[in-house]
Amino acid sequence: MNIIEATNITHYFSKKDKVLDGIHLSVKAGSIYGFLGPNGAGKTTTLRLILGLLRKQEGEILLFGKPFATHRTTSLRQIGSLIESPSLYGQLTAAENLQVWQKIYQCPKTRIQTVLDLVGLHNTGSKKTSQFSLGMKQRLAIAVALLHNPPLLILDEPSNGLDPSGIIEMRELLKMLNREHGITILISSHLLPEIEKLVTDIGIINNGKILFQGSLDELIQRQRQAATLVFETNNPTEALRMIQTQYHTASLLDGKIKLPNLDNTAIAQLNRQLVTQGIDVHGIAMIENDLETIFMHLTK
Amino acid sequence: MTFIHSFQSEWLKTRRSLAAWLVIIGSFFIPAIMFAVRLVYHEKLEGDSIAPAFWETLFGNCWQPMAVLLLPMGVILSTSLIAQLEYRNNTWKQLHTTPQYFSIIFLAKFAVILTMMLQFLVLFFIGILLSGFVPHLLFGVALPQESIPWGYFMKQNAYFFIDCLPIIALQYLISLQFKNFLVPLGVGLGIMLASLISLEWKYCYWMPYTHCSLNFYAIKHIKGAIDPSVNYHAWALGYFVLFMVISFILYITQKQKG
Repeated sequence: MNIIEATNITHYFSKKDKVLDGIHLSVKAGSIYGFLGPNGAGKTTTLRLILGLLRKQEGEILLFGKPFATHRTTSLRQIGSLIESPSLYGQLTAAENLQVWQKIYQCPKTRIQTVLDLVGLHNTGSKKTSQFSLGMKQRLAIAVALLHNPPLLILDEPSNGLDPSGIIEMRELLKMLNREHGITILISSHLLPEIEKLVTDIGIINNGKILFQGSLDELIQRQRQAATLVFETNNPTEALRMIQTQYHTASLLDGKIKLPNLDNTAIAQLNRQLVTQGIDVHGIAMIENDLETIFMHLTK
Repeated sequence: MTFIHSFQSEWLKTRRSLAAWLVIIGSFFIPAIMFAVRLVYHEKLEGDSIAPAFWETLFGNCWQPMAVLLLPMGVILSTSLIAQLEYRNNTWKQLHTTPQYFSIIFLAKFAVILTMMLQFLVLFFIGILLSGFVPHLLFGVALPQESIPWGYFMKQNAYFFIDCLPIIALQYLISLQFKNFLVPLGVGLGIMLASLISLEWKYCYWMPYTHCSLNFYAIKHIKGAIDPSVNYHAWALGYFVLFMVISFILYITQKQKG
């Protein structure tokens, strides 16, 4: 079952400024969905539409199988969110901040201590949140999102401003929440390496359009398909001419011939043809693009 | 989600806020000055003890700077600060993703402002009473003989509350629409000044921030420019309803919430 199903979402900030163009987004229950894209791609706008912070213009949004427009409050009761920067009342302590939201969600008061323990902020006492570091604020914002024990977390760039150890801590926390509590997580980021160790599914957005949506395995498969084959020969020009008769996309770069990856039989056959034509083959190598390169190619 | 829970949540947010401090300090400011004046001129305390309208005079003296200047200014500031709590802390987006109807959020926040206004009136009244009694106790002078006119105080406080409602409603409307704190503050102070200037005008009750001053004129029996038969309290209520309706429509129809 898909917990979030957004179809054909189009959004304009003005008549000429189309920020989302027919977005389709499907988030499976129990998954960790990484929503990737460069800055300004439309990630935050999409998340704001899903949460009702922006009024929907075109398309349909289903949360927990029901239209968000007609089931806003029941849907929001099951969602914990963190959109961009942490939302905290600076003059209040961590516990008081949580109390503000506890009154609204009417969850047990014991949840305040539970979530403070969970994010490692149980020792902040009477310190006001305005005196917190950005990392502490970010963790408290996660605690706010978790307070009412929601089955769905929507986090917009939650590791913004965190140091590397903070990023790892947050990743472990989210993994644990997903694994042990079955919480579905939709997390956005503009950095693939930051979330590739966390997510099970990925959606890549750029210029308001979804470029890829699927499992992480599918993306890795695409990574393999996008690998490049490199031939080193004693006569690259002649070798290229010969290879291009079969593979038009082959090219010469730094004296080496590059072409899309082939299966082993095709590689052996191509090698044989080159040798038969009197061209010495010094080396054959396969260069796999990393996920980052794939991401860059998709969003270029 | 009930209104009570939302109100409790909103009330918690005012803890240690500038608006909360403003109510406490503002309510005791004038009574403290009055208290100090009565200490300095303590030789007049014996005369005060037997004055037939001691409490009405003290009440009027305390309300003089309050009604004309300090109360409208305080209301402008504290109402703007309550909405500013969300803007400054970047919390509108979090609040609008809670499972509450927007109407509940709108009303709960407004109810907090009204409660703070009531809190102010109660504390101000306590301050007036203390400034009336304590100097007599300190100098061992007999307490004022006139019994406290509770009915008069309650009625006048209720009038001041009603007369403040247009200011609260309009400031709330502006504060919800503008992120920049200077906008509600600037507009509020501008209307307040225009209202003060218009007090000599026959139709000054058309100005939404004049009604507190007009009530003070009534207490002090000052003959103003307006026709005495005009019920400016009703005008205040009318403006209040008008501003609230507009404010609610603008808030509900905002395209972007936080």
